[in-house]
Formats: sequence, C-alpha cells, structure tokens
Amino acid sequence: MRDVAIVGTGQTVHARRRKDVSQAGLVREAVDGALADAEMTLDDIDSIVVASGPALFGAVNQPEKWLVDGLGGHMKPVVRITSGGGTGLAGALAAMNQVSSGFADKVLVVAYDKLSEGALQYQISTLYDPFWGREFAVGIMGFASAYWKARIETLGHTEEAAALVSVKNHKNAFRNPYSHVRKEVTVEDVLNSRPLAWPIKLLDVPPISDGACAVILAGDDVVPQVSAKPAWIRGMSYYGEADNAANRFMLQSVPLQLAAQRVYKKAGITNPRRQFDVAELQEPYTNFELSYYEGLGLCRTGEAAALIESGATEMEGDIPCNPSGGCMGANPIGATALIRLAEAALQVTDKAGERQVPGARTALVQAGGGWANLRGVAVVGADKN
Amino acid sequence: MFAKSSNRVAVVASAQTSLKSRWANRQHVDLISEAVSAALKGSGLRIEDVDFVIDSGSDILDGRSISNCGFLGAMGAHHKEESRVEEDGLWAALYGATKIGAGSAEVGLLIGYSKPSEGDVSAFYWSQVEPFYQRPVGFGHEAASGLQAQSYLAEHGHSEEIFADVVAHDWAKAATNPWVETDDVPAADAIRASAVVAAPLRELELARAVDGAVAVVITSQRVAERVCPTPVWITGIGTAIDQHAFARRERGSLPAAKVAAEAAYKRAGIGDPTKLSIAEVSASSAATQLMVLEALGLASPGGAPALYRDGSEIHLNPSGGSLPADPIMATGLVRLSEASLQLADRVDHAPAGATSAVVHGAGGVGMQNHCVFTLEV
Amino acid sequence: MEAKAATPVMMRGEGLGSAPGENPTFAGRIELPYTLTTGRAASVFLAELANHKLVGSRCEKCGDVAVPAQDFCAACGETTAADFEVAPTGALTGFTATPAGVLAMIRLDGADCDLVHKVLDAELADLEVGTRVAARWAASPAGSMLDVEGFEVSDAAAAGEWPQPFEATADVEPVLEQSYDLRLDYDHAFGPYYGTLFDGIATSRRIQGVRCPRCTCVLVPPREYCDACFVRTEEWVDVADTGTIKAFSVIHMEFVGQVREPPYVYAEIVLDGSATRLIHSIGGIDVEEAKERLHTGMKVRAVWKDAEPTGSLEDIDYFEPVFD
Ligand SMILES: [Zn+2]
Ligand SMILES: [Zn+2]
Repeated sequence: MRDVAIVGTGQTVHARRRKDVSQAGLVREAVDGALADAEMTLDDIDSIVVASGPALFGAVNQPEKWLVDGLGGHMKPVVRITSGGGTGLAGALAAMNQVSSGFADKVLVVAYDKLSEGALQYQISTLYDPFWGREFAVGIMGFASAYWKARIETLGHTEEAAALVSVKNHKNAFRNPYSHVRKEVTVEDVLNSRPLAWPIKLLDVPPISDGACAVILAGDDVVPQVSAKPAWIRGMSYYGEADNAANRFMLQSVPLQLAAQRVYKKAGITNPRRQFDVAELQEPYTNFELSYYEGLGLCRTGEAAALIESGATEMEGDIPCNPSGGCMGANPIGATALIRLAEAALQVTDKAGERQVPGARTALVQAGGGWANLRGVAVVGADKN
Repeated sequence: MFAKSSNRVAVVASAQTSLKSRWANRQHVDLISEAVSAALKGSGLRIEDVDFVIDSGSDILDGRSISNCGFLGAMGAHHKEESRVEEDGLWAALYGATKIGAGSAEVGLLIGYSKPSEGDVSAFYWSQVEPFYQRPVGFGHEAASGLQAQSYLAEHGHSEEIFADVVAHDWAKAATNPWVETDDVPAADAIRASAVVAAPLRELELARAVDGAVAVVITSQRVAERVCPTPVWITGIGTAIDQHAFARRERGSLPAAKVAAEAAYKRAGIGDPTKLSIAEVSASSAATQLMVLEALGLASPGGAPALYRDGSEIHLNPSGGSLPADPIMATGLVRLSEASLQLADRVDHAPAGATSAVVHGAGGVGMQNHCVFTLEV
Repeated sequence: MEAKAATPVMMRGEGLGSAPGENPTFAGRIELPYTLTTGRAASVFLAELANHKLVGSRCEKCGDVAVPAQDFCAACGETTAADFEVAPTGALTGFTATPAGVLAMIRLDGADCDLVHKVLDAELADLEVGTRVAARWAASPAGSMLDVEGFEVSDAAAAGEWPQPFEATADVEPVLEQSYDLRLDYDHAFGPYYGTLFDGIATSRRIQGVRCPRCTCVLVPPREYCDACFVRTEEWVDVADTGTIKAFSVIHMEFVGQVREPPYVYAEIVLDGSATRLIHSIGGIDVEEAKERLHTGMKVRAVWKDAEPTGSLEDIDYFEPVFD
C-alpha cells in the first residue's frame, strides 16, 4: 500500500507502417525510450506488463510470449492485459497494483499495436457475437456514428462541434514529434471530407498507426533513487458495462462516470474543470471527445459543443484537451491509452516540449475500448495525494 | 506476503462447472454465469459486494476479439472494475491478490473459462509461436511436448513406462472428483497402449482439453473473517517466463517454474516445500508434470517418478490435475479453487488434515510461463 | 457448490439439417489476410536462405548465441544482429513425430544452440540423438523459413570451418515483409437460449426473449442471467418484429470482410416488448433520404426474406421505417 509514480516514458515514432521493425522491434523502441528517460537498464526492471489489442490484430496469439526476448523479460514476471482500445491504461492499472502492493518495485508497462499488419475493420468486427450482429458490424465505427447521431439530436453534439475537435487535435499533433499525422485542417475540410459512416467523415477519424509506448512505474520509497521528477498516479480505475444490458444508457457513458467518480474521490477532485490543468483523452472518433467532456465533468450535459466552441479546450484555453493531438496524431490502438498516460506524465513533469501546457501540475487521463463499454480514468500529478 | 502491504488476502469461496470434453449445449456465457453464481451461493457475499472482476479467457479459443467485452454480464462485471488477463487464470488471481494487497479493493471475483471443443486447440498454440522461424515448420504444442518428454527421459535415464503411472494416478484421482467428467478411467496398461501422438508421448499422456469455467472469490482479511469460517490464506506468489524460442530452452526441466516457485516460497517463508500438504499442479503432459514437481522442489531433478512409484508424503493433484481435465486458460485457477476447497475441507476428495498447499499454473507452448501460489489454512 | 443440472428446453434441431439427438453448432470462420514485418535480423536471415546461408546472432554483452539470427538476446535483452554463419549440416539433439511429421532440434555445425525444423523422409526408428543431417534447399526460394524444405539424414561431415563471420551477399534485398493468411474455424454451440431463439425464428418467425424477475426487462437475445441484476431469467416472452430505432448511421465505407454492399443504413433497434438492442439494417428507403427522414425513436418493422429460413438474423432482410 504505497504511492506509485511514473518515472520514465517512451514512445515510438508512430507511422502508418513501420516496415523497418517487427512487432518485437517496435515495442523495444518504446522501451528503450522509457529506460533512457528513467536512466535505467532492463536489469533494473522487476516485472513487465504487456498490453495490446486483440491477438487478431497481429496474427500472434498471446504475443508477450514472443516479445519477452526483446523486453529482457527472461525469468521475470510477464503478463499481458488486453481490454480493447483502452488496454494501455488497463495494463498500467495492473502494474500500479503490483507496485502498490509491493509485489514489485519497478514495473515496465508496454503497450503496442502494429495495425498495418492486417485488415483493421474486419478484425474489429470480430468483436461482435458470431451469432448476433457480426454480419452487420462495421468495426466499431457503425456503432460509434449511430450514437453520435443520437447525441446530435439530443445533446447538440453537432458535426461542426466535432469538426472543431478534429481541427484542434490536428493542430496540436503538429507540435508533437511522435505524431504520425502532421497536417492542419479546417472546419470546412472536416465537414467536406468523405463520409465513412455518416455522420462520421474521414477527418473525424484518427489514422491507423503502428506504434508503441512504454511507461515505468515505481513505488514511493524507490522513487527518490530513480527520478527527480516523478509523475504521481493519484488515482486510476477501469470499469466495464455489459454491452447489451437492458436499457443501457447510450447518451452518456456510465462506466466512464463510475471510473471518474472513483478516481476523483481518491484524488480529491471536486471541480474538474478548475482543478485539472490539462487533459489527455482517447478519442477514437471526434464525437467521443465531446461526449467525454460531459462524462468527465469538464462541462455540464449538453454543453460539450459550447465548450469546444469557447476555445477552453484549446492549448491556450483553461482546460487544454489533448495537447499531444490525441489519437488524431497517431492511433496505434493498443498503445493509445498508455500514450495518453505518458503524455499526462510529461505535462506534469514539464517535459512536454513544444506541446507543454505552462505550469501544468495536475492532469486528467481518459481511456476506453470495446463498444464504448470499457472505460478508464486516471489522475496524474506533480504532487502526491 | 506482499513487501509493502500488511493486507492479507484469502480465498473465501469458489466453484466450477463440470469439466468435460464438450459442453455441446452450453455457450461460454452459460458456463461462466453458472460458475459465478455457484461461487457466490453460500459465500455470504452477493454480487453487489464484489468490487472487481479479473477474468482469463482466450480470443483465439472463443472465436471473438476482446471476448471479455461481450461476456461482462455473465461474469457479473456490469458496472464494476474489470480487466482481462489473457493468460491462465492463475495470473488473474495474481492480479486480484495485488489489487487487494494494495488496499484498493476488498472483494474480487476471479474467472477462468474456455470451450476448446468449439475451436482448434492446435491453432490456439501454434498461433502463439512467432510466425517467421518456428510457425512455418509446423512447430506447436504437440511437438514441444514430445521433445520435452524425450529430453527428460534421456537426461535421467528413465524409461517411457513412467509416464503411464503419472497419468493413471491422476485419472484415478479425477474419478473421485465430482467436477471432472470421466467416462472411462484408463489404467496404466491402457495408457501404454494408446496411440503415439508426439513421440515418445501417447495420446493419454497429453493433457485432455476440456470445456468448463471456474470462479474464485478472494477478499481482504477483514471481509474474510466476517463471511468465511475457513478462509484459505494466500501466503506466497511467484511468476517467471522463459525465452520464446523453444529450441534454445532447457527441454528436460522447467527453469522458469523453479524461479516462480522460489519467489513464492520466499514470500511465504517456506524453507522445505516437501512439508506442504497438497500440490495442485498444471502440466501439458505426463513428462512436464514430472518436471513441474521437480521445479517446485518436491523432488530432486529426475526424482519425480519415484513420487508415483513409491508414494508421496505430499498429496499430488487430489483433484486429478490437468492431465484428465485441462480447461485451457482456466486450468491454473481450477488448481487454486481445488486446493482452497480441499484445505477448507469443503470437498469429499480433500486429503485429511491438510493445512498447506502449493498451486501451479502455466501458459504458452512448451509451458513457457509459470505461476506459483502457496496457501494455508 | 454443485453445478446445476441442464434445464430442459427446446433445442435448435429438427428441420435444420442436423442429425436428431445431436446438438448442432454454428460454423464460424475467421479468415484474415496479413502482411507481417519480419524485423532486422529475420529479414536478413530469410533473404540469405536463397544463397544457402544460415545466419546466427551473438550477444556482445553476455555471449549468448541464436540461430536463426534474432533482434534481441533472449538471455539478457541486448540488441543483436546477424553476425555469423553456420553450416547447413549438423546433428540432431532431439526429435519427435506428430501427425504433422517429424520435427527435430538440430545443432548445426558451428552453432552453440539448436533450431527447430522438419526432418524429411525419415522414420523415427531411423533417428537417434547425434544423427547427422543436412539441409535440403527449396528449388524456388520464397524468402521463407521453408526455403530450407527440411533436413535429411546425411553422413556428410561439415565442409569447412564453422562458424564463419557473416558477410551479406551483394545485392541481397532483405525480406522485410511476408504475407500471411490466418484461418480459424469454429463450431459454436447454440446453447439452450440462442437455440430456442433461432429455432423460433426459423420455424415461425417468432422472436423470443427472457424476462428478468428483478428488473422485469425482457432481454433479446435471451440469456440465462440478466446482465444488470445478475439474477437468473425465468420466463420466456415473445417480442414483436416491430420496434424503434435506438440509433442509426449510414455506412459508406468498404472494407475486407464486409457482408453488405455500401451504402446502407446500420441500425440498432429495440424490438417492441424488449429492452435490449438488436443490430440490423434499415431498408426500403434511399440512404440520402434516410439521413433526413430517420430519427431515433422512430418505429420500424421487420421485412422478412421470402426464402427458406436459415434461423438467423439474416432471415430478416431489413427493417423498414414506419412513417406516421
Ligand atoms: Zn545477452
Ligand atoms: Zn434484471
């Protein structure tokens, strides 16, 4: 039962296709970055948690069994957590418990996906019940666009508001050296882009990327020896919701609200908009970011469009969201949630370079996957609780 | 047990479905919910008391991606903290124990399940092998098991006759276990007469894949003492993985199992594991079962066959172990469930007077990954 | 603790092509194409097979060696690269036979470790530890491990001194990518709940759910436990083939594995009498018109296919909107 800090982070240069590395090599690139950041070697690591998307993304079942050689995992604890798009945060949560309990002092969390290897939408469609709905599935995009349409009707999450998310995140991604997409877009570009699953259009959708992220966690008694600038994990949680439960509420994400409630309580957050200096949100589609504003309490229900329109979530606003560019800069699905956590750690340790929010001390992290039914939240700070 | 926590973690309840070759008229969700509801029944805990769910299952076996995502309702995980560990269920128990040890929750539900009868067990294993060097030559689970058996015999000068004794022992135990479906209980002669499928191993000397689900409830000390007359305490946990390329591993022994066991014993303060009452272990074949017992320090290298030939102080797989019933992904968690039920004296096949146990689970082709728990009442 | 007995319910069966008394299954298939990246060391190893070279890697930090060459030292994690060449001859250190053939652990001359490969044209009885073997090279190399078709028993001694320093053959292009097809087949059990549902659809276009005794909601597809309450469902209930649109979108994109031809309307529908979502499509309306005229909460009704029922959601051609 001890506090846990992030003492090192690393990311690959994300790209549409990394032909120069295997899945193992991709992961190692991120690990080398995290080790360099923490001034550690592989020998210093006690335990490893691997997080990645479904085995079908990479044609390798239980890929940690292969990756272990490149992780220096020989004869160490190695386990893989898989939980869809949010799996990077789910992996970090498993690692946090290992450290907090004292099972391990220094744990390496590594998350990745090499999405260029396969046919993504069809792979994602295999989430669906083979008896019930798989034949009509369009990855998660059909589902995501349908409930966005419902939110347009009921909550005013308009196509224009979502376009502003795309514009903002593209602009921020431009300043992020790890970004895969470096292209500024306008609201008109987004609105006029090709419909994929209307109302979702091409520029509402992040790229498909190869990429990995690694984060090293350490316990509070170890931290002074390894890091002058730790990012403390002040709370982290990951909730599930039965996908086809009776009367499942689809306009707000209940598991997101539950996770936020739990984490905010732990971290003493009562006014998220004021208390957070920055937020890193995992937005697989632009409209999700709007929904998260409400679910995370950054604004009231039905006010997400007004929040983005006000500029509050821009770099210069009072609650900058996704200074990294979010998924819009790069979306190696299994790694994406851990990238959000790593970016938050960079922010509160003043290491975010050109994308730094000046003076950020408290950061909000959100992640999720599945049919919007797996949702995680974390609070990362320059200070302990 | 944990270095930075005074929290003790207890197994307070568990249940499993019948383990059988094929549950032809049940879906995964049916097996899972049956195990979960049976575990909660009579535990003094309701689903509302469960803080979190950690589950083990395989997308490749289930035929659907992120399969936990579709099974949350059956797992009782609706609006709870949940995570999928895509490894044998004993690693789900490791996760759950650290979560309670960390003080972030008090009641955890651990689930392992699979229905290998719906898919292709060979594919489940060969798809774990890297695709460039080993997979194209047809290397997989059966070949690894055969090669391990050959090396074990050669290193210790044993005859292949020893394997049938191991299998016969475990099937006889399984026949006393109401949760393992055993139509025919093969005797040693029948085992020695079964077809050679991964030379020198015969069909019945490889673990039999079965369908089934298991659910285990673990709690903090505070909750355990309130709800459970005989909590079973987790005293040690260790885990370690070997390198990927099978050809470069030790083949006649399991060094990662040894490292995992030593870590667990160290945490538990166990100096002489042969003094433990019960060993519930997982193995892919009769040969690797002998290697596991040696890695756990229950016999010297090459000495495990004597445990079957001459009898053993420690009760070996009173449940029957994994050779008669290997519900892949759930196998190690079944061992944890079994050892706990036996220590709490809640099953007829419990050895009399047992007070401690070592529990072992494994994952990967050729048993690359190992996890060891120690328990006491 | 006793697992409960099976509940006798109507099973999917007669009239659907299954033998009486069997529990029919649903044949699922996942078939996916990949282009896998091999990585630095494997890209060299695989390319050099065409030149009949077998390349290994050595760790500068701990001295551990690997054949075939690896990107990372498995013992210590250090980065490694193709570094030395071993002979195409060697000796067996272990072997087994499975239905897939004879596989062996082969210690190539000049290697301090084994690799796994096939032994060709050999019976187990012919083999022992120490048996000498030689690579049989494929006539048309394809940049795959099977450019060595396998090893055959041969008493040829190693020709020359091994290992030798590896020098990349001039003009060899590394094999950076391999195409790969993964196919997985399944026999999914229907189970009593789906079995009853799909039997009803097949025999009488009847859609049945189950009611949760606690929250009183009707769940379709039926299931043994109510997700929200974790209470056993009890009562079978017929639901209508009419319902309301919970959400919809218009699919324009095409992708591998797609069943319907875009554009079409994807919809999640709550059937009247139920409280759960059914995924289907909406037809009988132009997709551009659908964007304007459809809205959540709108009534729809099933349009059944005029064909032999299959007992699946495909028996419903689509749902059509009911305009007031
Ligand atoms: Zn090395
Ligand atoms: Zn209910």
